[in-house]
Amino acid sequence: MGLFENLAGAAPELFTIKTMLLMMVGTMAGLIAGAIPGFTIAMAVVLVLPFTFSMTPVEGLATMIAVYVGGLSGGLMSGILTGIPGTPSSVATTFDGYPMARSGKPGLALGIGVWASFFGGVIASVVLMIVAPQLAMIGLEFQPVDYFSLILFALTVTASMAGDQILKGLMAALLGLLMATIGSDVVFGQPRFTFGVDSVAQGFAFLPVLVGLFAFSRLLGDVRTKEKAHQRLGGEEAHAVHIDYLGSAREVLSRWGNIMRSSLIGVFVGVLPAAGSTISNILAYDQAKKTSKEGDKFGTGAIDGIIAPESANNATAGGALIVMMALGLPGDIMTAIMLGALLIHDVIPSPSFISDEPQIAYSIFLAFFVANFMMLFLQSFTLRGFVLITKVKMYMLAAVILFYCSVGIFALNNITYDMWTLFIFGIIGFALRGLGFPIVPMVLGVVLGGIAESRLSQVFARSDDIMVFISRPWSLFFLLLGCFSLIFPYYQKNIGKKAWTRFFVPALMIVQAVPVFMMPGIIRPSLAIAMAATGGLMVLYRLRNGDDPLKAEPTQSSD
Amino acid sequence: MTLNRDAFVAVFFLLLCAVMFVASMDLPPPMFGQLSSALWPRLILVPLALLSAALLYQSQRAPQKTERKTVGQWLEFNRNPFICFALFFLFLVTMPIAGMLLGGLAYVFLTLNVLGGWKPRQLALHAMISAVSVVSMWAVFTQLLGVLLPEGEILRVY
Repeated sequence: MGLFENLAGAAPELFTIKTMLLMMVGTMAGLIAGAIPGFTIAMAVVLVLPFTFSMTPVEGLATMIAVYVGGLSGGLMSGILTGIPGTPSSVATTFDGYPMARSGKPGLALGIGVWASFFGGVIASVVLMIVAPQLAMIGLEFQPVDYFSLILFALTVTASMAGDQILKGLMAALLGLLMATIGSDVVFGQPRFTFGVDSVAQGFAFLPVLVGLFAFSRLLGDVRTKEKAHQRLGGEEAHAVHIDYLGSAREVLSRWGNIMRSSLIGVFVGVLPAAGSTISNILAYDQAKKTSKEGDKFGTGAIDGIIAPESANNATAGGALIVMMALGLPGDIMTAIMLGALLIHDVIPSPSFISDEPQIAYSIFLAFFVANFMMLFLQSFTLRGFVLITKVKMYMLAAVILFYCSVGIFALNNITYDMWTLFIFGIIGFALRGLGFPIVPMVLGVVLGGIAESRLSQVFARSDDIMVFISRPWSLFFLLLGCFSLIFPYYQKNIGKKAWTRFFVPALMIVQAVPVFMMPGIIRPSLAIAMAATGGLMVLYRLRNGDDPLKAEPTQSSD
Repeated sequence: MTLNRDAFVAVFFLLLCAVMFVASMDLPPPMFGQLSSALWPRLILVPLALLSAALLYQSQRAPQKTERKTVGQWLEFNRNPFICFALFFLFLVTMPIAGMLLGGLAYVFLTLNVLGGWKPRQLALHAMISAVSVVSMWAVFTQLLGVLLPEGEILRVY
């Protein structure tokens, strides 16, 4: 079936009064959550998750997507009005949004942010609908060994995001994998590492683990001292404003090139495992600054400086959904929670998910598209009032949210064991964060641990030959990428300082050309030849001139 | 050997690896053609031990300059989180007696007071917040969603 037939099949599932109302409430909840500094979107989705248990898969997922989209847009409010980003995905929005608001144009700044979020989301949903089925077709080529290597790659990328602390990032990822082995062997169900405690044989459900690691470490970190606990994180400066929708829409539409570029950056970053909107908004801002004719105005209230991060962070959600829908692997926390929601409804994402369950899959695509319109609609009514929510004191939020988390987690399986899991992993998360360990690699380790083990057992069930890890092109591709991602933090740190960094990118291209060349068909081997040739030329040029041909030209012209 | 935070962490992880590795020896051997239950954990433990050793080496070679705190200062710095954890622990332990409703009310009210203060006006505000937030959430789950939250022995609701 084609795209439009599938969409037509999914539309009656999604466009019911109940689902639309649920999405409205979800978008509103996301906007509120995003507007509260320190309250992450992941936490908002986690809080909504238990409410979805009694819903149909389409209703539940549509509600969660609405929260996600609302949260991404909600972050811009506190970022622009107070200079404190509501979520990490709105950090770059504060660079120009806050100065513009301070210069007497808060309504214009908010309007630009809202429209940029909307266009970013819409572009990403179109890309999602077109790309996800194609990527799923490639995913059908994957064998267990390729999946195993992809999981290793996802974990190395996540760990490498820790930058200087990559050692701790890797340790956290391995600790997560180790935690996932406690309970029972995923292949044969034999008890493992129970240490005589019978209840541990059921293992740890990953949602209590995830919420424990995140909610406790984050919230208790925010109320550590009396002063911090009593802070109104929205600040005293948050106040209601009039939004200039028409003026801002004109400004945004006249900068369509920036919207397209930033949205595509957002989608691309979303597709990469672990690289979420926290990164995409900064990358898009940086690119907008480099390409703008008014680069010197950035940081003082430039319109392009608000458009770029806001369209990129909304578009990233589409990118992350592409991988989850097409390959069945969560690339970040948000999609990990959504994967959990799908599993609760007995829907298992995999490369054949889109073709096996077209109604659910295309309902998710449509829900993402529709949620952006709802966000725009709700923002136009309620933006002024939301700012007041940022006046709530942090300790009040912490106490109530921790209780809500425990109720939600209990409702997962109706057992108090899950609440104990939440508590224990709360302590572990708080301790690890205090000791300088990143939390995300550990969470992904716990989520992906079981999948990795079952894939590994499938690999060994087929053959004892471990050479299969490097003889399969996709497996080799991901393993090599994983190796480069481990070196990436050192490359980033030493770029321009050490000679070897000049050969990092060409080496990556040449090395990755090998597995791509091994892939079937004509297009991919041809692409591999082009990659190798480009990499080789770059090496030759840099050896001869000591500089990059692409970077050399602007330097000469500016001189 | 310099004793610093990373050194302690590295030693803890090395001990953890040793304990888990020994425990993996008690796992039953594989049947013909099966992946051993112990293989996957060992594949994780080996790199984890190596990385822990690397962290220990790093902590000795270039110790991180962190502000040294006495035990008293450290406890004072983490007072609020520790109290929150203790209250949550009490909430879980008393769950079979107090149930989710009464236990939740007590937990939220006490946490709000510990973090926010005990003045009469604050007490009234905190009581209101805990009543509204806990009762409404409890009602949504039990009445709307049909989830049977633990009722405890004190108050039989169902």
